[in-house]
Amino acid sequence: MWSLITQIFPYAVAFTIPLLITSLGGLFSERSGIVNIGLEGLMIIGMFTGALTISVLEIAMPGAAIWVGLLAAFIAGALFAMLHAFACITLNANQVISGIAVNMVAGALTTYLARNITGSGNILIIHGLVRKDVPVLSALPVIGRLVFTQTYATTWLVLFLVVLSTFTLYKTKFGLRLRACGEHPHAADSAGINVHLVRYLAVMISGAFAGLGGATVIVTYSGEFNGTAAGLGFLALAALIFGQWKPLGILGATFFFGFASTVANVSQAIPALAKISGIYLKTFPYIVTLIALVLSSKSSQAPKALGEPYDKGKR
Amino acid sequence: MLKRGISFVLVLVLAAAMFSGCGKQADKPEPGKPALKVGMVTDFGTIDDKSFNQGTWEGVLRAGKEFGLETRYLKPVGTTEADYMKEIGNLSDAGFKLIVCPGFKFETAIFQAQDKYKDTKFVLIDGYPHKGDWAPVVKENTVSIFFAEHESGFLAGLAAALQLKEGEFGFIGGMEIPPVQKFNWGFQQGVKYANTNYGTNVSMKAENVIYQGTFDNVAAGQQLAAQMYDRGVRAIFTAAGGVGVGSINEAKARAKAGKEAWIVGVDVDQYGEGVYEGNKSVILTSAMKYIDVAAYDMIKAEKEGKFPGGQILTFSAVNDGIGIPKTNPNLSDDVYKKVMDAFAKLKNGSLKVSDTQGDLLR
Repeated sequence: MWSLITQIFPYAVAFTIPLLITSLGGLFSERSGIVNIGLEGLMIIGMFTGALTISVLEIAMPGAAIWVGLLAAFIAGALFAMLHAFACITLNANQVISGIAVNMVAGALTTYLARNITGSGNILIIHGLVRKDVPVLSALPVIGRLVFTQTYATTWLVLFLVVLSTFTLYKTKFGLRLRACGEHPHAADSAGINVHLVRYLAVMISGAFAGLGGATVIVTYSGEFNGTAAGLGFLALAALIFGQWKPLGILGATFFFGFASTVANVSQAIPALAKISGIYLKTFPYIVTLIALVLSSKSSQAPKALGEPYDKGKR
Repeated sequence: MLKRGISFVLVLVLAAAMFSGCGKQADKPEPGKPALKVGMVTDFGTIDDKSFNQGTWEGVLRAGKEFGLETRYLKPVGTTEADYMKEIGNLSDAGFKLIVCPGFKFETAIFQAQDKYKDTKFVLIDGYPHKGDWAPVVKENTVSIFFAEHESGFLAGLAAALQLKEGEFGFIGGMEIPPVQKFNWGFQQGVKYANTNYGTNVSMKAENVIYQGTFDNVAAGQQLAAQMYDRGVRAIFTAAGGVGVGSINEAKARAKAGKEAWIVGVDVDQYGEGVYEGNKSVILTSAMKYIDVAAYDMIKAEKEGKFPGGQILTFSAVNDGIGIPKTNPNLSDDVYKKVMDAFAKLKNGSLKVSDTQGDLLR
């Protein structure tokens, strides 16, 4: 059992990290009161921007290209999310519909651009990140073997962002204001907070994180942009709800999804798991999520003003 | 406002008139017989999947260029029979009277289409028309094309075993369907042939022979390959579309870190996809089937009035329909020569590769 877990762990973590950062992005948006169904589309934007940037730069600067690509995806995600912000905040549009539009536009637009820029709808990168053992720490008993061996640099970047985000949300003025806008925007407004500005920033952060998540997929396990995020954005959204809109909850939920999906994926290759029918393993995380949502629906921690356009005149 | 609206509509009409004018001039049919137009419908992948659809499309494009034909492909919104029928209908209605459909998924759609569009000819690759009961019904306006995947897999397995000489090999397939299974079985026979005739010592274990179940789960491809390599597998044969993309990516990451990890590609020469540094690639060889040649040949036949309607054709070693890439720096010349010996034997019939499972793994 132990060897089984250590065998799967590094790959489960690699699969979890993009989910985690995307879900965290969703957290910013939703805690400020804006539903963001467009995470999937924003991930695709990140994947496209990351893959394109890296494929163009990697000949000239093999090492740095990956990081430039991640940064580009971060920025592109933020910019693209402004579409969603503009529709939802400035125009008071229905947030769900705007999110769906983002998803539809992103998939089609990136494939179109990829075909026109590179001549193919698939963009392949030559160099991805290489998994490395963390020096010293990987020698620790138990933890070292699980957490510090075979890790991608992006894993540590994302975990750092999780800590930073938690701090920002709960310990800074900006975080308090952001959460206030999601709970009671009128009260926040009467206290002198610019609700529109805070929400714009929150949605842009969500786009940036989702873009980073998409690019992380490219530089770690997929290596190729192909016009789809394979439902990861929606999974991140589910993890956000499952995790009750809290950073630690998200960490747990995404890891649960990541680990369960990885087990389902590799079960065939592991004799001990191959005995269990793949159907059960593949549906397991979703059934657990459904049950958890049913049980927790009464005490849902969703932000009070989630999904409502802010109208100054309304009391 | 109204005025502006009217003028806008007028401009649109004018523009439309101009374009339609152009179209008519360019498409002016030769007197007597209308010009042949060739259409294609993609199956579940995209047109640039570097595999099945792309191979077919390249053949169509080459024929189009050579014979000056109009070509077009349509991508259905879904992968159901109704989606395929709709696009086949769209092409046929638009005057595309030769339609190439790659993939077994088209089988039941073509079964209907060959009766519904009697004036249209169909090329069905990797399948034969039936109404859902697997009893082939190939009408006069349809040709059904199969490849001897087992022979292709055999050559790749032989090449890989000869090159690496010893160790464990693995296989990752997409869906468990005949073309993928035949690749697998052929590959195993190729490895065995090398062991028996050339003294290599390559083995394959049941747990390393896997059908992932889809052609698009990239993450699973990476994770499965990682599990196999961790267990000491030296080379993996991937016949799995997008799943294989993930496996190749895993092999690249390992090779870049200085570890050994080989992939045997499928359908087309995948060498370029496995490049991880300079010109070095993790692709040991590729089990190819020349889909583009098949598509091209059928269009050429139609152009010359020799369309083999009603037939089920097999592209194998005999008619150079399968093979491995001529140039691959990862294979030594000696290995390539030995593989070509086997290819010649397949060609003259003195060597047979079974396309059934028998006592092979899965």
